[in-house]
Amino acid sequence: MKEKPVNHAAAAVAFIADKPHLDFHDARLWDMRQKRDAQMHLLPEWQDLRSRASAIKEHALANLADYLEEFERNAKSNGIHVHWAADGADHNRIVGEILEARGAKTLIKSKSMVTEECDLRPYLAARGVTVTETDLGERIQQLDDQLPSHIVVPSVHKLTSDVARIFARSYGTDPNADDPHQLAEAQRLAARPVILHADAGMTGGNFFVAETGTFVVCTNEGNADLSATVPGVHIATIGIERVVPRMADLGVFIRLLSRSALGSPITQYTSHFRGPQDGSEMHVVLVDNGRSARLGMADFWTSLKCIRCGACMNTCPVYRRSGGLSYGAVYSGPIGAIIDPTFNERKYSTLPYASTMNGSCTNVCPVKINIHEQLYKWRQVLVEHHQMPFVKREIMHMAGKLMGQPKLYRAAINGTETALSTLPRFALYNWLNPWGKNRELPAPVKETFHSWYRRNRPTAGRATPETVKTETKA
Amino acid sequence: MSARDSILATLRRNSPPPADHPLPEPAVLGEADASPERFSASLLQMGGTMLDRQQGATLDQAIALRFPKPGLMIRSLVPEATGTVRIADLPTPQAAEPVDVTIVRAAFGIAETGSIFLSEAQLHLNAIAHLTQHMVVLLDPAQITANMHTAYLRPEFHTARYGVLMSGPSATADIQGVLIRGAQGVRSLTVCFAPE
Repeated sequence: MKEKPVNHAAAAVAFIADKPHLDFHDARLWDMRQKRDAQMHLLPEWQDLRSRASAIKEHALANLADYLEEFERNAKSNGIHVHWAADGADHNRIVGEILEARGAKTLIKSKSMVTEECDLRPYLAARGVTVTETDLGERIQQLDDQLPSHIVVPSVHKLTSDVARIFARSYGTDPNADDPHQLAEAQRLAARPVILHADAGMTGGNFFVAETGTFVVCTNEGNADLSATVPGVHIATIGIERVVPRMADLGVFIRLLSRSALGSPITQYTSHFRGPQDGSEMHVVLVDNGRSARLGMADFWTSLKCIRCGACMNTCPVYRRSGGLSYGAVYSGPIGAIIDPTFNERKYSTLPYASTMNGSCTNVCPVKINIHEQLYKWRQVLVEHHQMPFVKREIMHMAGKLMGQPKLYRAAINGTETALSTLPRFALYNWLNPWGKNRELPAPVKETFHSWYRRNRPTAGRATPETVKTETKA
Repeated sequence: MSARDSILATLRRNSPPPADHPLPEPAVLGEADASPERFSASLLQMGGTMLDRQQGATLDQAIALRFPKPGLMIRSLVPEATGTVRIADLPTPQAAEPVDVTIVRAAFGIAETGSIFLSEAQLHLNAIAHLTQHMVVLLDPAQITANMHTAYLRPEFHTARYGVLMSGPSATADIQGVLIRGAQGVRSLTVCFAPE
């Protein structure tokens, strides 16, 4: 059965309708963006760091098979079990088997977008394993049965009152609690006994190092390190693209990651796992799930450089005013809009349109992914593959005809201005004009630029192509 | 074909030309100041504290002043302090969970971020660094390195099986953006300069 495309615009309408949530969401993410800028301005070498991060990642991706083999060799010699998962189903089966072989019935987990990609929790639940998310934001989302709405701050779309309501239901706390400290403390107290008696622990991984067989986990709450060090079994799920060649390369990425994400110089915890502690087991599951195919897409392979900082989301005016859940996908925001279609082109065909093409995402990306250019490229690909809604397709078809014929275009533009100033609202704002939803059409102008130019520049039309070019530049 | 072999084969088939993407030389960029003053300033920014130690006071006395509540379980992993419980009594995470304060020596610190490095060599039981409510960390000022680039040249990253850079206490801002120091790991992290 064909899956219907995500209706991002409709979900955004619902998000915008709730003003308190919208205002907080917009302000909170913009605050993160500004804190990121403040950190950037403290480092004169910032652009150098970005260029190096990009070059290291591109090199690692161009030699990915070799670096994965090098990592595997070194990790194994340090006593880490290395597993390979072609897709989400493979990943879940591997994790299920590790747990089953040890009779593990309880798993504590820190945040990992790859496990969300693989939809691990329902798989394990069906096999009698209780999975507890230990990251505060991720736990809130688990208890509310929602996907994370942001890759760094999963519950950023919620207010304190929402968390109080969810915790009251699950932890028996005061439903009217209005102090975030009180609610965070409730999470700490609820998580501790679960962590202490869990059969196994699971984390993601931000980076792994081919040279040493190390993987690195960057977090703030301490829950990832608890999940990794308290139970006797630690499973880490990591996307294959997260490799860096050398330990020395980490300096570049650690300096960029949290500064770009939250505007803090470093995460509170930067944890390096190179082998199991005495008497314990350590497993790494390397997950492909479409990444090796994406590496072969000439226009889109550099999206694999992503270090999941979320800076592109924080800066995106569309994301800030539509919320992560409106994307209907594990990955939201600008980065989501360029990688989600590689998972399911039809389902996520609407997401590359969730952009104003302002390019801010590209400018803040710490690994220099040309996100807005890839958004544009995806639109082309989707049109070629006929993944475009009927109305938009017809409008584009007509626009293409118009713009290809200057005389027709000018006549139409003059007509449009008349229409904008004379037609009643119902004729302008209807289903044939998706642009006019939640937006005002531009105020009609008295005169088009073209007719003004003809009136004021009697020599117009005789300009040589060279002078036109120079004028455009100036 | 196994998943491993098919992933590797697809990657080799799809990879962009390696010659177009050379690996840059390792970089040592940024401010080279490795002073204790820079370290302290960075630590404070990350929510950590410096131990206030009067001249002539022992480490135990200074820690007692920092954590004045009577009856606290204080566990020392360093010869400079005695604490109130013996290490041998806490062999497992479950036994170690009630500890209030743990005193440990860091292998090194990073001036840029106020981070301290701990591994199994200092912790013995890795979980103790995260189960304890508070942590006091001894740091030799001679073992402060300037920034993240210089830090990754340290040998510990090639020897430790578990190596954690802790930069202040655990923290979260997951509820309506309010920054809370003391999330699920240590509630406070206090550093004391102490030459080894």
